Amino acid sequence: MPSGALLFQSVILGLLLGGLYALLAAGLTLYFGIMRVVMIAHSAFLILAAYLAWFTHERLGIDPLLSMVVTVPLFFAAGVLMQRGLLSRLRPMTLTMMSVLLTFAIAVLIEGLLGYAFTGTQRRIQLGYGSASIGLFGARIAVVKLIAFGLAAVALLALYLLMKKTKFGWALRATIQQPDAARLVGIDTEKIAGYGFGLGLATAAIGGTALSLDTTIYPSLHWHWIGPLMAIIVVGGLGSVPGAAAAALLLGLMQSLLQIPMGTTWAQTIFYLALFATLAFRPQGFFGGRLAQRF
Amino acid sequence: MPSASDTVTAPGAAPAPPGPAAGRPRLGRVLTIAAVVALAAAVLAFPGLAPNPYILSAGIVVLNYAVLSTSWNFVGGFTGYISLGHGALAGLGGYGTGLLVTKAGLPSLAALVLAMLLVALIAVPIGFAALRVRGASFVIVSIALVLIMLLVFQSWASVTGGSRGLVVPRPFPDLLRPEHHRVFYYLYAGLLALALGVWWLIDRSRFGLGLKAIREDEDKAEALGTPTFAYKLVVFVVSAAFTALSGGLYALWFGDLDPVFQFSILTGSYMVLMALLGGVRNLFGPLVGALVVGTALEFFKGSFGNTPLHLVATGVLLGLVVMFMPDGVLPALRNLFARFDRTRQSSIREVSAAELRDQRLQSTGGKA
Amino acid sequence: MTGTTFRRTRGAVALGAAIILTLGACGGGDDGESSGGDGPIVVGISLPLTGDFSEPGKGVQQGYEAWAKIVNDSGGLLGRQVELKILDDQSNADRVVADYEQLIGSDKVDLVFGPFSTRLVVPSARVAEEYGMLFVEPAGAANEVFQQGFKNLFYAAPAVANDHYNYLAEHILALPADQRPKTAAYAAMDDPFAQGTAYGLKAKLEAGGVRTVANEVYPPNTTDFSSIAAKIADSRADVVVGGSQYQDGVNLIVALQQLNYQPKLAAFSTAPTNPEFASAIGNKTEGILSPTGYSQDAPYPSNKEFVEKYTAQFGSPPEEDQANAYTTGQVVAAAVTAVGCAEQGECQQKLVDWVRANKVDTVVGPLTWDETGKPKGAHMIQQWSGGEIKIVLPADAKEAEFLYPKPAW
Repeated sequence: MPSGALLFQSVILGLLLGGLYALLAAGLTLYFGIMRVVMIAHSAFLILAAYLAWFTHERLGIDPLLSMVVTVPLFFAAGVLMQRGLLSRLRPMTLTMMSVLLTFAIAVLIEGLLGYAFTGTQRRIQLGYGSASIGLFGARIAVVKLIAFGLAAVALLALYLLMKKTKFGWALRATIQQPDAARLVGIDTEKIAGYGFGLGLATAAIGGTALSLDTTIYPSLHWHWIGPLMAIIVVGGLGSVPGAAAAALLLGLMQSLLQIPMGTTWAQTIFYLALFATLAFRPQGFFGGRLAQRF
Repeated sequence: MPSASDTVTAPGAAPAPPGPAAGRPRLGRVLTIAAVVALAAAVLAFPGLAPNPYILSAGIVVLNYAVLSTSWNFVGGFTGYISLGHGALAGLGGYGTGLLVTKAGLPSLAALVLAMLLVALIAVPIGFAALRVRGASFVIVSIALVLIMLLVFQSWASVTGGSRGLVVPRPFPDLLRPEHHRVFYYLYAGLLALALGVWWLIDRSRFGLGLKAIREDEDKAEALGTPTFAYKLVVFVVSAAFTALSGGLYALWFGDLDPVFQFSILTGSYMVLMALLGGVRNLFGPLVGALVVGTALEFFKGSFGNTPLHLVATGVLLGLVVMFMPDGVLPALRNLFARFDRTRQSSIREVSAAELRDQRLQSTGGKA
Repeated sequence: MTGTTFRRTRGAVALGAAIILTLGACGGGDDGESSGGDGPIVVGISLPLTGDFSEPGKGVQQGYEAWAKIVNDSGGLLGRQVELKILDDQSNADRVVADYEQLIGSDKVDLVFGPFSTRLVVPSARVAEEYGMLFVEPAGAANEVFQQGFKNLFYAAPAVANDHYNYLAEHILALPADQRPKTAAYAAMDDPFAQGTAYGLKAKLEAGGVRTVANEVYPPNTTDFSSIAAKIADSRADVVVGGSQYQDGVNLIVALQQLNYQPKLAAFSTAPTNPEFASAIGNKTEGILSPTGYSQDAPYPSNKEFVEKYTAQFGSPPEEDQANAYTTGQVVAAAVTAVGCAEQGECQQKLVDWVRANKVDTVVGPLTWDETGKPKGAHMIQQWSGGEIKIVLPADAKEAEFLYPKPAW
C-alpha cells in the first residue's frame, strides 16, 4: 500500500501534467471544431517548439521562456498558412481522411527535419534551477514543473477569455457551431477558420516551451504525445474545449496515480483504454461533444 | 462483368460472361497476360540478377512492403477507410510467430499460420470497435492501436522480451545467409501472388461491389440493404490476416524483433503512402507504389546512410500525393494518356461514385 | 471483365516489371573491390551516432578512429593501411543488421568491428556469424550475449555487465553490521546491459541481506522520471542503484534531486563517467558511484601510448567507451598480425581460432576468453567527490577514499 505522502505527490504530479495536456488538447479540439480535422501534426509542432526553446537556450544563452516571443507568432502564422494553403484546398468529400494523412505527412516531415538539424540525440535544457523544488505539505514540487503548469494555465485562461469575451471569439464560435448561419450574418468564415487554426498552433508553441523546461526531447517524441492527446479529445467529446480540459485533467491524474502500482509504461495504457471504452460505449464522448459518431 | 448495377440487383449473375462493353478484349487480354507474365518473370529472375546478398536482402524488404501495402489495400482500396495502424497488425503477426516458435516450440511454418489465425481473431474485436465509427475516429483508433501495442510489448517483458527484443530461431538453420535470403525471397513472392489473387477475386465478386459501395457512400449502401458493418469487418479481418502473414514471415527471416520497430507508426504510413501512390483502386497499385517507394528508401539508405532525410522525403511525398493525386500515380498517368487519345476515353473509366449511385437509385426506384 | 480493366492492369504490371529489371541491372555495378591484394584493409563498423545510444556511440567511434590512426602512423597492418567504414544505425536493431549486411555482402569489407550496446550486438553478431566473420565487439556486456551460441564473438573488455559492481558489493557487505545499508532501490532501463549491471548488484546485495524496497524498469524512450523518482524517494532506501545508459541516468538523478532525496549511496552505470555528466546535472554530483573497466593511469604498456596519442588527436584523454573500442582494435590487430591475413573467407576462421587460443595485451589489461567469448575479470568502482571522478575500489588501485555515507548532492 503506497504511503499517503506518495499518493499526495502523485496527485500533484498528475495535476501538473494534466494542465499541459489540457492546453494541448484545447488546440486539437479547436482544429476539429473548425474543420473536422484531426491534426496529427499538433504534437510534432509541440516538439518543434520545444526544440526551438532548447536551441535559444543552448546556442544563444537566453532563457527558454523568451523563445515564445518568436515561436508564438511564428506558429500562429504557420497555422493560418496551413489552413489557407493546404487543408482548405482538399476535396470536401474526402476532407476528413485526407486531412489526417496530410497532417500526418507534416508530422513526419517535421520529425525528419528535426532529426536532420539536431540529430536523434536526446536533448535537455540545463537550467540553473532545474533541480530546485519547493515543499508543500510534505510533497516536493519542482520549480520547472510549476512554471510549465503556470504557462499552460495562463494560456488556457487567455484562450477562454478570447473565445468568450472578444468579437473574434464570438465569430470563431459561430463559425464552429453554425458555419452557414455565420456566413449569412456576414462573418468571413474562411478567414476566421484560418485564424482559429493559427490560434490552435500557438497553443502548441506555448506547450512546447513549457515541455522543454523539464523533459528530455528527441525528434520522434511527438508520437508519445499525440496518442494521449487524441484519446483526450475523444473522451472529452470531439469539439468540446471544456470537455477536453476536463478529460485531460482526469486522465493526467489517473495516469499519475496508476504509475504507483503499475509502473510508467503500463500506466499510459489508461489513455487507450479510455479511448476504446468511449468509442465502444459512448462515441459522443463523456463531456457533451456530439460529433464523434459522424466523423 | 457487364455493369455494377446488374450485380447489385441480380446477385447470382457473377461471374458474368463478357458484355458488349468489352470492345477490343482479345488483344487487350493477350497483352495484359503478357505483361503479368513479364512481371512474374522479372520478380522471379531478380535473385539471379542480384549481384550480392545485400541487394537480395533489399529485394526482400521491398517485397515485404509490396505484400504489406497490398494487404492494406483490402481495407483502404475497397472501403476507403484509411488505416494508419496496420503496422500493429504486422507487428502482432511477427511477434505471434516468434512467440509461438520460442515459447510454444511450434515449427516455424505452423507458427506462422497459427499466428495469422490468431491475429485474424484479434482483428474481430479491433475491427468491431474501430469500424463502428467513421473517418477521423477510425484513423485515431488505428493510430492508437499501434501506440498501445508498443506499450504492451515493451512493458510485458516476461513474455515478449520487452525492449531487449525477441530472437526468433532460424527456420532453416543449415542455410548460409545468401541462400537463406533466396528462400525467403521466393516465399515472399508466393505470398504476394496469393494476396494479389485474393484481392482480384474479391474485386470481381458481389462482396467486392458491396465494399466499393461503402467507399462511395456508406449511408446509401446501408440504406440499399448492403450489410455494411459485416462487410467492413470481414474485409478488415482478411486484410489483417495477410498483414500478419507478412509480418510473421518477416520475423522468421529477420530473426530479431524489437517492439519499437514492430509497432512503428512509420510501417503503417509506408503502407498508406505506397498504396495511395500506386492507386488504391488498382490491383497492382500498391505493388507499384511499393516498388517505387521501397526501392527509393533502400537506395537512399544504401547511398546516403541512414539519415533522417528519408523521413523528410516520406513526408513530402505523402503530402504531394494527398494534395495533388489522391487517386494515385496510375490513374493520374492514365488520365494523361486519355487526354491524348479521346477515342478511348469512353472505355477508360472505373464506375464512379455518382454513376454507381445513379445506377443504384434507378434499380431501387430512386428512393435511398 | 472489360478491356478497360485489362489495360489498366497492363500499365501497372509493365511499369512494375520495368522497375525490377532496372534494379537488377543497376545493382550489378557495385561489386566490392577492396578484398585482398595490397589496397587498404577496410574495416566495417556500424555505430549509433544518433538516437538512444548516440553519446556512448560517438565515444566508441573516437576510439576506433584513434586506433586506426595509431596503427596507420606506425606502418599499418601487414604493411597495408587501415581504413574505417562507419555507418550510422540510429541506435536500432533493424538498421544495424542492414548495415552489417551491406558492409559484408555489398561493400566486401575485410574485417568487421562490433557496434555499441548489447541490444545491437546480438542481431549484428548473427549477421557476422552467418557470413563467417570474426566479431570482436566493445559493448555487448550482458550475459545473454554469450548465451546465443555465437562461435565468432569476443567481448573486448575486462568483465560482463553482471560483474561490474563486484567490488562494490564486496565492500558494502564487509561493512560492520550497524553501518551496512538496510534497504536498496533499483531503477533500470529495459536494456540487457543496463539491467545486467543493476541486477548483478541486486542479486549480491539481496543475498547479503539488503532488502529491496523499490524495483523499477523503464523503456529506453522514457523521458519523464518524476513518478519513478517519487517511488524511490518515498521508499527512503539507503541505497539507490540506477541501471542507466546516459540521458536516462541524468534525468533520473535530476528527478531524485527535485524530490530532495538523499540516499547514503548512489550508484549509476555508464552515465557518471561521461565527460558531460557533471554539467548535465548542474554539478550536483557529490558521492555518485559508477563502475568502470578502464583507467587512464593503468600501467599496461600500450595504455601510455594510447592516452598520449589519443589526447593529442582529440584534445582530451580517453574514457571507457573509447578504451573499449581501442581494445577491440588491438585484439583484431593482434590476430591479423599473428595469422598474417585480413580478408573475407577462410582467413576469418583462422582469426577466430587464434583469438580463442591466445592472450592479448590491451589497454585494459591482458584479456582471455572462454568458449562463449566471455572475458574473465571485474570492473573498478569510481566515485565523484569535489567535482572529480576517482577510482575508490578495489583498494589496491584506489585514487581516493571511498565516501560512505555519501555527502548530500
